[in-house]
Amino acid sequence: MIRLENVSKSYRTNSGTNHVLRNVNIEFPDSRSIGILGLNGTGKSTLIRILGKAEQPDSGRIFCDTRVSWPLGYSGGFQNNLTARENCKFVARIYGESPKYVEEFTCEFAELGEYFDMPMRFYSAGMRARFAFAVSFACNFECYLVDEALETGDARYKEKFRLAFEERRNGCSVILVSHNESTIRRTCDSAAVLENGELTLYDNLKEAFQVYKFLQSRAA
Amino acid sequence: MFNLPESVDKPDFSLGNILTGLKVQSRVIYALILRDAQTRYGRHQLGFLWLFIEPLFFVLMFILFKVYMREKDTGGMHSAYFMTSGLVPFLLFRQLMQNMGKCIDNSRQLLAFPQVTTFDVLLATIIIEFAATLFVFVSLVVGISLLDVPPNIEDPLMLLIGIFLLGITGAGVGLIFGSLSPLYPSLKTITNPLLGRPLFITSGIFFSAEMLPAGLREYALYNPLLHMVEIVRSAFFIEFESRYIDWHYACLFALGLFLCGLLCHQVFRNEVMKRG
Repeated sequence: MIRLENVSKSYRTNSGTNHVLRNVNIEFPDSRSIGILGLNGTGKSTLIRILGKAEQPDSGRIFCDTRVSWPLGYSGGFQNNLTARENCKFVARIYGESPKYVEEFTCEFAELGEYFDMPMRFYSAGMRARFAFAVSFACNFECYLVDEALETGDARYKEKFRLAFEERRNGCSVILVSHNESTIRRTCDSAAVLENGELTLYDNLKEAFQVYKFLQSRAA
Repeated sequence: MFNLPESVDKPDFSLGNILTGLKVQSRVIYALILRDAQTRYGRHQLGFLWLFIEPLFFVLMFILFKVYMREKDTGGMHSAYFMTSGLVPFLLFRQLMQNMGKCIDNSRQLLAFPQVTTFDVLLATIIIEFAATLFVFVSLVVGISLLDVPPNIEDPLMLLIGIFLLGITGAGVGLIFGSLSPLYPSLKTITNPLLGRPLFITSGIFFSAEMLPAGLREYALYNPLLHMVEIVRSAFFIEFESRYIDWHYACLFALGLFLCGLLCHQVFRNEVMKRG
């Protein structure tokens, strides 16, 4: 479970302070996969980074007793001048996994072909996302933090991931930021809405989407 | 939903927890070192040779100069060893001074992993630069002893301490400049001309304090690096013992600058992260 206790985070912008999270108290249970909805710029990515402890909140505490992945997104985590193979080994080492196993698993799962031995600066966004998923799968996390990255890549590969996630459903959960309603419907069983610094968790997707649609229509 | 267990309120400082933390940290540093070695020296063989090019160039130039001046040695010391023992440790200083700011920039991506901190990145860089310096040093000494005479190293421990002092001084200066450069971008461009080059000339790479005229020596000894280079040479040569080493001055500068650098890094770290 990941629990946020009185977590606040704000950014200073030219026009004043933007409160991304205000005293948020929430608990993400292990057993559920949760989608995070919110309009552009409300701070969904920041929230994911805070959950993954890649960023410090201004105040408050994050309590976590599961093995959580790093935030999987378009970028981040990988060294562009290293090849995918070298990046694999690095990730394996810092998570205490066997470098050889992670390398083999990723090589097979990511289907990058000869690109696997090319520096990652030559990768497209889709290839990056594919690689990130494959490596994180090799590391056997209990909770995967996903920042929109599921949107990239071709349909066949998306399907492959969905199946892989499905297979692990009992063993792991996903916290997913996405703009794509169908992605969330397919992957998650509940959703939280982030708005104006407040994060509300809804037990069923229907309710969450109603709130989200209302916000969207109000913004438009 | 929110009945919190009490243990959450206080951080866990039990021995087991600290040990796990250390284990994770050493894993991270090990991974960073391997990654660094790979990007810097592994990709093509030239990267590795590059380590040797500058020291070899200066040692050869120095020997040629000595031959031209018809001098057999340098203040009673073997010229090639004299140059090696001054230059290679100094290059560690310069290397760390230039790299401490950069290494965080270069590893920004990796900070997405929660267990990787800027502190790990700094430590890994310091370790790898030290290792590279020792490697170059030993290789040059072996090379010279094969070509000419073997050295008579007086005190290996003191030699290491001297190199260590130069290293952490460089790391300290590098951290100070690296931490401030996001606020003052022009600092990046002036570090080398303002500090690197003058220190290269005045830190006793080409001379020892003994050889300077008394009036000049008085001022030259304000440079803490000169003391450190003298420490290295006194430890290296049986036939040389500098009378001008001020251990307090050298250590105070080295540790002071290093701590100051760490402090700067801590204070300005968030600023550095934000500006990208």
